[in-house]
Amino acid sequence: MKLAGIKNLMQKILLLIKKFKSGDWLVMLLFISLIFFITKYYWEFPQGQYLKIEKNNEIIGTYSLNQKNTFIIDSLMGTSEIIIDNNRARFSKSPCKKQYCIHQGWIKKINQTIICLPNQISISVIGNKEQFDSINY
Amino acid sequence: MTQSTIKTNSNDHKIAKLAAIAVAISLVEFFLPSPIPGVKPGIANIIILYTIFKFDYQTGVWVSLIRVFITSIIIGTFLSPTFFLSLSGALCSLLIVLIFKNYNKKNFSLISISLLASLAHIVGQFIVVRVWIIPHDGILYLLPLFLISAFIFGIVNGIIVQKLITSKTK
Amino acid sequence: MSFNKIIVSLFLCLIYGCSYDPIYQKKHYIFGTLVDIKIYGEKEETAKNISNEIIEELNRLHQLLHPWNPGIINDINQAIANDKSIYINNNEIINIIHDASTLENNTKGIFNPAIGKLVNLWGFHSETLPTKLPSKEAINSLVTLKPSMNNISIKNNILKSRNNSVQIDLGGYGKGYALDQIKNILSVNDIPNALINIGGNILALGKRGSKTWVVAIQNPREPGVIAKIPLKPGWSIGTSGDYQKYLIDDKIRYSHLINPFTGSPSQGTQSAIVLTPPSVNSGTLSDVYSKPLFIAHKNKKFIVAKSLGLNYFLIIMEDNSIIISKDMMNEISWYQEPDAKNIITN
Repeated sequence: MKLAGIKNLMQKILLLIKKFKSGDWLVMLLFISLIFFITKYYWEFPQGQYLKIEKNNEIIGTYSLNQKNTFIIDSLMGTSEIIIDNNRARFSKSPCKKQYCIHQGWIKKINQTIICLPNQISISVIGNKEQFDSINY
Repeated sequence: MTQSTIKTNSNDHKIAKLAAIAVAISLVEFFLPSPIPGVKPGIANIIILYTIFKFDYQTGVWVSLIRVFITSIIIGTFLSPTFFLSLSGALCSLLIVLIFKNYNKKNFSLISISLLASLAHIVGQFIVVRVWIIPHDGILYLLPLFLISAFIFGIVNGIIVQKLITSKTK
Repeated sequence: MSFNKIIVSLFLCLIYGCSYDPIYQKKHYIFGTLVDIKIYGEKEETAKNISNEIIEELNRLHQLLHPWNPGIINDINQAIANDKSIYINNNEIINIIHDASTLENNTKGIFNPAIGKLVNLWGFHSETLPTKLPSKEAINSLVTLKPSMNNISIKNNILKSRNNSVQIDLGGYGKGYALDQIKNILSVNDIPNALINIGGNILALGKRGSKTWVVAIQNPREPGVIAKIPLKPGWSIGTSGDYQKYLIDDKIRYSHLINPFTGSPSQGTQSAIVLTPPSVNSGTLSDVYSKPLFIAHKNKKFIVAKSLGLNYFLIIMEDNSIIISKDMMNEISWYQEPDAKNIITN
């Protein structure tokens, strides 16, 4: 019984949507884009500033996400490659079997971390978004 | 003493009736809760849009302005910040409709106009809030919420107005 | 249809513009301090090349201006100490010496790059911080000799000094001068937007896109910042602080900023910050003019600032009172709002 009701509702909605003209869809699309970007702009996702690379739990280095970079690191199972590009970072090559670390893709927000367990290499995003560009002292 | 009578014609009756309905809707809307007190989605816009497209733009302007004034007088917020919020939203909305009302009827229906009017309504209110009532950038964090509401009501209002206009001509 | 296209493309531009923030950044230990270069809106290749050129220039200046390592300045100082004249074929050094003289006169002797011997006496001519206070006699004997840049004359490239206690120390001048040289490099290479920080002395060129560059001001006693202020295109900011180089003896802090008239480090001020407007030597001025503001007596600070034409300055005193110019007050944003009763303004 309820199924018939829902089907009816869907049919009514479909009829309504058919009445929308091509331009309407454009306006709706622009409106939604506006909402998306205003949301992104004001509810700023905390973009991290630096990438911390650790091997065997020791910090190899901390690198600015602002600058393109490629790191080649040797460890337990072989050679891994980490890329920084466009304010984000990822594992691009890894000798591990399951390649989970590569499949995690890009990270850029503070506290986001990717760990390659078998290799004991991890990358994590750190740093607060500073409200200033430089410190005078 | 000479008696002066104000003669009303049928147009005035029309405006009065529509304005009354708009005011009624506004009063109901007044009691709906809102994250920023005073900023409302503008359901009464249905009446305004209906008036503009069923009759003419000028009539619509009358109905809109009368709604704003009468509602604020009844509630008791006449000339208060809330009044200016409401007025600003209404004026921005009217302005946008004026610009776009005859634009490309082939590819754009009332839905588009309703969406744009709804957007202008919210933006108009937000400008008053940000510049005058709560002059703080923090208030802009609520903009996404209101934009989403404007989007939904824009579509809903548009569909309803469309239905009202096409069904009444039967 | 074209109306639609215009609207859509304008919209996309707006969105694209919102998130694009291309900054090239390079930090480097050079010139005896930490240098931070930020270049906005250039291709990475271009930014990298310019950055390298800047680093080369800083290396060159480090050698040229070093107060105690072997080099031209050291040669000059030795000649002066031995009452000898010396031939200088480096026009840049000659100009610097003249400029330093002018600035000494502008600041009525509070900024005095000829007191190298005093600085050395206090132990600040070494890579390590000093540990012992010099004796009063030693200090007085140097003060009474009254070394001044005005004692130096250069004619036909021959430099001599009529006062052999003069020792040139451009420590309070070098960072600012370097900023001005870098300004020229960037300008010659058509780089309009950059932020250069040499050991805390900062120069802003252009903007960070549509946003003005913003700099934070260091808390003189704890790690952390106390305020931030926009640094408009072409402006520089410089600080003299008692937390940069100092020695502590019997709980009293002796900073490296020596008052030429007393021969001892100035007391009572924690840090003095000045902003200088765009000009050919704005970098130099931001470095040099922070000194008289630091050294001057609390009651004289506003007068000194006025005589130097400084409208933007902030001075944090040892007693935590804050002396701040009206203009600076308008532009500054405090992270820790100071007590209103501690603020002294004009």
